[in-house]
Amino acid sequence: MSESYGIIASFPDTPSFFHAAEKVRDAGYKKWDTYSSFPVHGMPAAQGQPRSKVPVFTFCGGLFGFTLGTFIVWYMNAFDYPLIIRGQPFFSPVFPFPIMYELTILLSAFGTLGGMFIMNLLPQHYNSLFNSEKFLEVSGDRLVIAIEARDAKYDPEATRRFLEEIGGTDIEEVSA
Amino acid sequence: MSSDTTNSKGSNVGLIALVVGVIGIAIALFGFMQGWNNDDARPLMSWLIGFAFWLSIAIGMLFLTQIWYVFHARWPVIIRRQCEHFMAAFPYLLVLFLPLLAIPFLHDNPGVLWKWMNGANELPGHGTVGEDPLYTWKSPFLNIPFFAIRAIGIFGVFIVISGLLRKFSFDTDTTGDIKNTHKARILSSLGLFLCAVAMTMGAIDWFKSLEYHWFSTMYGVWFFAACMRAALASIIILTVILAAKGYLKGILKQAHRYDVACMMLAFTVFWAYISFSQYFLIYSANIPEETFWYNIREKNFDGGLNSWWWVSMGLIFGHFLTPFLCLLWYKTKVVVWRTVGISIWILAFHILDLYWNIVPGKLVAPDHAPGYLVRQFSISIYDIAALVGIGGICIFAMCRSMKKAEPIPVRDPNIQTSLDYTE
Repeated sequence: MSESYGIIASFPDTPSFFHAAEKVRDAGYKKWDTYSSFPVHGMPAAQGQPRSKVPVFTFCGGLFGFTLGTFIVWYMNAFDYPLIIRGQPFFSPVFPFPIMYELTILLSAFGTLGGMFIMNLLPQHYNSLFNSEKFLEVSGDRLVIAIEARDAKYDPEATRRFLEEIGGTDIEEVSA
Repeated sequence: MSSDTTNSKGSNVGLIALVVGVIGIAIALFGFMQGWNNDDARPLMSWLIGFAFWLSIAIGMLFLTQIWYVFHARWPVIIRRQCEHFMAAFPYLLVLFLPLLAIPFLHDNPGVLWKWMNGANELPGHGTVGEDPLYTWKSPFLNIPFFAIRAIGIFGVFIVISGLLRKFSFDTDTTGDIKNTHKARILSSLGLFLCAVAMTMGAIDWFKSLEYHWFSTMYGVWFFAACMRAALASIIILTVILAAKGYLKGILKQAHRYDVACMMLAFTVFWAYISFSQYFLIYSANIPEETFWYNIREKNFDGGLNSWWWVSMGLIFGHFLTPFLCLLWYKTKVVVWRTVGISIWILAFHILDLYWNIVPGKLVAPDHAPGYLVRQFSISIYDIAALVGIGGICIFAMCRSMKKAEPIPVRDPNIQTSLDYTE
């Protein structure tokens, strides 16, 4: 048999799926995930996931946009080609404010989008889980927990037994 | 739902609030009479600031209640009831407005507070109010009879709509009749328009017309934003106290607080957007009839920075930037003491915002020298007395209402969704 990617187990209904996730979390596994075709409320907490880091990207994007907007207006109106408009100063924080905040909003949106891609490890065109016929049924009605072989606690026999204990069915090893 | 202990506790708070309120009102009224007798506007403004602060909270809650009805919002049903309790303050606020309404009718100088009310009032630099074209052109709107009619109309709208919303909601507790909810929704869709007009008129009449020279089409929206911020901050403080006292214990969840705090963040940005846009348009147009309003909030006639410059900076950094940055953090929106802390902060700066909008004014320079004086920033004992006194009466009204009705709308069609609400 080729190298193993991990073990998947299916669960018959959402409550057992949810509670099984809590048990995997409490057993101390780190490299694992839950797969379902619909969002399950409270699942991130049941998986022991911390809050998303995407807001950090949003904030950095916004801060960069604000700085960029300020710099653009200063560079163009006050430094490179000073312009007298309505007797206003060449640069002040007042008149370029629309540009500053529009760029803040635009780049924080870009930051959010980019941050989402980075944190979700996207784009990812191939995943070894697709080798399993049963896993493909996740887009239908199957609820799957997959524990990956690169987890420190992973052991082919012990992990398989553990998944059986917490109510998993159709347990199979997926090749990498 | 409401146990005897809750009732007796509520009555104690109400009684204390009434006593504190009456003492505060007595001190503030003493100041009011001083201003009245000495022809001094500043102590009268203390009353106006106290009145504006508590009115803004009540108006914000009235708007929120109606918005929640119109959008058929399910999560805030338990919070909506607390707003309905506070809206009992409207009739009391009308009574507390009467001293101000008496000025144009009973005072020798009707223009002691709102200077346009007396045509003989001198203006800095150019003649009297009666000779001022900017007044004569605005006089079809700015005249005492119409002012009084508008004041009655404004309070009529607030009192009737809040009273009906309270009645519909409280009736549902006993009858469980869904028709009440339907009626409240229809009333709210109409009431939002009426309240928007009434609130705008109130802001123009009571605050903006203090400097009747000025033009701004955004003033009503500024007051709306201020009302919403005050109401949301008050809702956080009120519901957290009620949850700690046992009244909403186990009912108010993190998800409710989180969503109100999200709205606080949204309206912090909205307030800044409106306040800045008003400044920005006037700055860009650069017309003296408009710019003077900001000039006196920055500089004296001689061009030196005055006390209002510091208040203005305080508003930019304290009323916008600090709450904005704090509320961006998830923790600020869910950790109770942080959310309450930022709510108190917002309310404090909301008071400063009212000072900034009400108090500055152009005064005639001594010996009729060229130019003008600017009424500077100050906090008087009467300001505090009016804020505490009028607040005491409003809280008394709320506690009285809390004794009459259930703490949450027990038979509202959406009550279960609100109780089960999660993030």
